Amino acid sequence: MMTGMERLSAAINGTLADRIPVFCNLLDQGAKELGLSLEEYYSSGEHVAEAQLKMRAKYGYDCLWSLFYVGKEAELLGCGKMIYAKDGPPNVGEMIIRKYDDIARLKVPDDISSHPAFAEELKCLRILKAEAGGKYPVCAYLTASMTMPALLMGMEKWMQMLMMGPHDLRDELLAKCSDFFRKQIAAYRAAGADVLVYSNPFGSTDFIPRKFFNDLSLLWMERDLGPGGTAGVVYYCGSARFNNVIDTVIRRLGIGVFYLSPMDDVAEGKRLVAGRGLTCGVINDIMLLEWSREEIRTEVKRIIEAGKPGGKFLFGTLVMPYNIPEENIRTMLEAAYEYGRFDTP
Amino acid sequence: MLDQVMNQYNEAIMDTDRDRALTVVRDALDQGISPEEVVFRIVVPAIELMMRSIGENQGVSLAQHFMAAQIASEVVDEMVPRFRKAPEIIGRVVIGTSHGDFHGLGKRIVSGCLKAMMIEVSDLGLNVAPERFVDEALAHDARVIAISSMMVHTARGENGCSRVRQILKERGLEKLIRIAVGGAPYRFDPELYRTVGADAWAENGIEAGKVISNLIREVRK
Repeated sequence: MMTGMERLSAAINGTLADRIPVFCNLLDQGAKELGLSLEEYYSSGEHVAEAQLKMRAKYGYDCLWSLFYVGKEAELLGCGKMIYAKDGPPNVGEMIIRKYDDIARLKVPDDISSHPAFAEELKCLRILKAEAGGKYPVCAYLTASMTMPALLMGMEKWMQMLMMGPHDLRDELLAKCSDFFRKQIAAYRAAGADVLVYSNPFGSTDFIPRKFFNDLSLLWMERDLGPGGTAGVVYYCGSARFNNVIDTVIRRLGIGVFYLSPMDDVAEGKRLVAGRGLTCGVINDIMLLEWSREEIRTEVKRIIEAGKPGGKFLFGTLVMPYNIPEENIRTMLEAAYEYGRFDTP
Repeated sequence: MLDQVMNQYNEAIMDTDRDRALTVVRDALDQGISPEEVVFRIVVPAIELMMRSIGENQGVSLAQHFMAAQIASEVVDEMVPRFRKAPEIIGRVVIGTSHGDFHGLGKRIVSGCLKAMMIEVSDLGLNVAPERFVDEALAHDARVIAISSMMVHTARGENGCSRVRQILKERGLEKLIRIAVGGAPYRFDPELYRTVGADAWAENGIEAGKVISNLIREVRK
């Protein structure tokens, strides 16, 4: 049987594989797997690595995640408080930019790898690499400079500053977030992350007008990714659609993997990528809380039938809410393995 | 002339150009257009146009929603004190994010639109307890409780909308107060509003203005 890494390589290179790669982001479920509260679970890189390995083996999908929760990046920039829920990801509990003066005080750590807030994630990455390196791609999650301020000052205030200024402070903040991004992606690469999910809702025209995308988003994305390049980088805009910028992103940034929104037209996305990279069809996994077995199978089939012809395609999940019944996770994955199978000659 | 001003204002809104929109409004006043006409024949129709553009899937972005609401709110603040007589308030709403939710952008967009529609908004802020939603609705004589949630567990959680519904029921307030919800989990599951006991949901902040004003009218009947 092929490993996840072999399936991913085959998809990238257009060579033969038993089936398409299936990426599944079970994060908070790791706490359930180990019988821990979310707060206990996320306090230790060993817990997260153990659960990631267990869940991958249990369900058979093709990736491992080093991501704890999205707000973790704010901790690296000084946020000292997370608010935990019992059935969902923690929220940033302290905005470190409350007033404009705080932007000047924001300090980007010199060395992310030795930062105490990175220690547990680093521990997790090292365990994942030691246990499954080369067999299953280890995914890291990075927030783009354009989106990072939302974690530092709240989306409402960030949107206001982005659209209404003051623009000199906006650019100062973006420059710091971009410097942070460059260091963070280098730290993940050094720790062995194979897949770098570049998360940027502001890279979608669902979030900002096209002109804004061209004049601002693209420039900051170029700055983020310039020094380290785009090897292993995955373009992802959260749940926002981005089919209409795919061609520009390929030409300007050279990114080669596109993790679509569940609201994007998968066949159209694949047509736009046009063999220049991988396209990932993503399921609206919030509906896994409600759908019947047949509904899940029908949706998985629809996505895979739209993207699989011609290869260079994978299947993925979006947010995977904590309370999805295990049976529904299995149904989705089994359908993805079944419909994603390639007929061998 | 009004049509020309309206076009200029709409263009500025779609370009997310606040300064240009405010200049258009001030120039219109100088040319003799009344503050009432500015609000009811320029600002409100601009919001309605945006609603139609969203409905027709013409690619209106979140930033454009935000700026349309922000500018509408600013213009209304500037115009209402200049009205010949105080405008008639259609109704009152309390708005906040659900318990455990700290995402305030949607709430702000909704509030700006409601203000332009002459609906009085009491913003309860972020992470609002269900009891507080109801207590504040009573204190402000609000006809609608609007609950914004950006995360699945805060939309569906036991201290979210479903608890607000339960409290309204326990206190016999269901005929007096309606519940509207919005936020990403509702977009990804359009039937979720029923599951959590809301009366209506809106796909975005701009549309929420219409949904909430309809609920107010329904209660007033």
